[in-house]
Amino acid sequence: MKKAVFLFVLVIFVLSANAYSQTTEADALVGLWAPSSGKARIQVYKKGDKYSGRIVWLKEPNDSEGKPKLDKNNADETLRKKPLLGYVMLKDFGYVSKNLWENGTIYDPENGSTYSCKIELIDSNTLEVRGFIGVAIFGRTDTWKRIQMKN
Amino acid sequence: MKKKNLLWLCLFFVQTFLFAQNDSTKVEEEAPPLDLSQFSGEAEVATSNLAGMKSYCSSKIFGISPTKLISIGYDYQLGFDMKANPETAGTETQSLNALHGLRLLANFPVVSKNSWTLNIGASYWESNYNFAKPDELRSPTMRSLNQSALRNAGLSFTVFKPLDAKHFILFLSNHDLNGDYRLDEFQSLSLLKHSLMGIFGWRKHDRLQFGFGAARTYRVGAMNYIPVILYNYTSENRKWGIEAVLPARANYRRTFSARSLLLVGYELEGNSYHLRNRGNVFGAGRDDLELRRSEMRLKLSYERSLYDFLWISLQAGYRYNWRNSYNVDRGDFFRSFFSSDPYAFQNTIGNNLFFNISFNLVSP
Repeated sequence: MKKAVFLFVLVIFVLSANAYSQTTEADALVGLWAPSSGKARIQVYKKGDKYSGRIVWLKEPNDSEGKPKLDKNNADETLRKKPLLGYVMLKDFGYVSKNLWENGTIYDPENGSTYSCKIELIDSNTLEVRGFIGVAIFGRTDTWKRIQMKN
Repeated sequence: MKKKNLLWLCLFFVQTFLFAQNDSTKVEEEAPPLDLSQFSGEAEVATSNLAGMKSYCSSKIFGISPTKLISIGYDYQLGFDMKANPETAGTETQSLNALHGLRLLANFPVVSKNSWTLNIGASYWESNYNFAKPDELRSPTMRSLNQSALRNAGLSFTVFKPLDAKHFILFLSNHDLNGDYRLDEFQSLSLLKHSLMGIFGWRKHDRLQFGFGAARTYRVGAMNYIPVILYNYTSENRKWGIEAVLPARANYRRTFSARSLLLVGYELEGNSYHLRNRGNVFGAGRDDLELRRSEMRLKLSYERSLYDFLWISLQAGYRYNWRNSYNVDRGDFFRSFFSSDPYAFQNTIGNNLFFNISFNLVSP
């Protein structure tokens, strides 16, 4: 009996610790990131057990008329007056295995298309973000860099 | 014993509680507020200046027409006349009702990173010649074309290597099996035609890229070496642009939206096709014949998204063949534009309208 209780508690402890470790690893995606174009900064945050990302900075926030840029290329006409700044362009990423988040989508404001997407953490400050159509072979990868917090 | 068990259970609940506490702080219903001033100055500087990140230019510019990943199309030319031996007394003229065929393309971005990209493509084109009076054909070229369609099956490799944020190298190779072969009567791979193109380019800004290079090409029928110029531009309001790889093609682009555009321009289409000497129709021993086919297509293309990444392309235009753009040589060799070397068989074909429809899966 004593051994059984001990083993039960030990197993639960190890499983919980492992779950905690997984959560910590998964949260490595959270932060401020710079896509390679240098034209935007994306804040990745956690919502429930999923990860999303929104545009928090644009190199050129205004259009040629000096007004805030809108999502004018969106296929959904009702969204074309939504500002790009603050737009949630990464959605629904789940942590599936070590340093890999999948099953999410990425939105490209340049053409108004939403692509399937997976994200891989190459090192603690580098992401490879691959947007694709259907299967990963039909896609494009972009390298993102983490913006560090001030000390 | 009971105390020890109780201790273990307490330990279990304490650690569970602690971990749960940690986790709960990370669950947020909406995006948390962000103060960019809390981040290093890098938050608002060019990515090229970020520590550990070299900036590379993209292979595309804003507004450029979408790259086709998979394309299924059909090309149809209206009828025209074909003349054999046009410069001799034995001229034979025959009418064709149509020239048509399937056009398939697949383009796989095998490597697609900031630092370089590699696309591997496969294509298959057919050209079926529908003669009005197939039983009256005397010319060996016409009899050969009537007997079997011209086919083109090829592999292509495209490498885009950005050197930094402003400069890049583009390398393209095509390896095509062209001829009047059939799937049950395949053509030797020793007859592959290899085309190459290399360009050194500049990406001045997000709406302009250009470059200069050289190519080994069959676009004018026989193999040739030519200089090439790449020029892609999109206007500041992004409503129009130019897409050109001279001299192969050039288009003026009018963009209606991110999902529909119109292209007006031309394309040089051509290749050298091996003609199988079936039944010694060209004469005994002539097993090395190459049809030098080249044509200019002046065309209007309307492209629009049907659903997400599925686009339709509708083309209409005028197909123009000039003198010596449909002759037959013996063997595959370099033939200068200004060469006066005689051809084995001479033909001319009339010009007419063409139409093309394709359904395309386009690239991110």
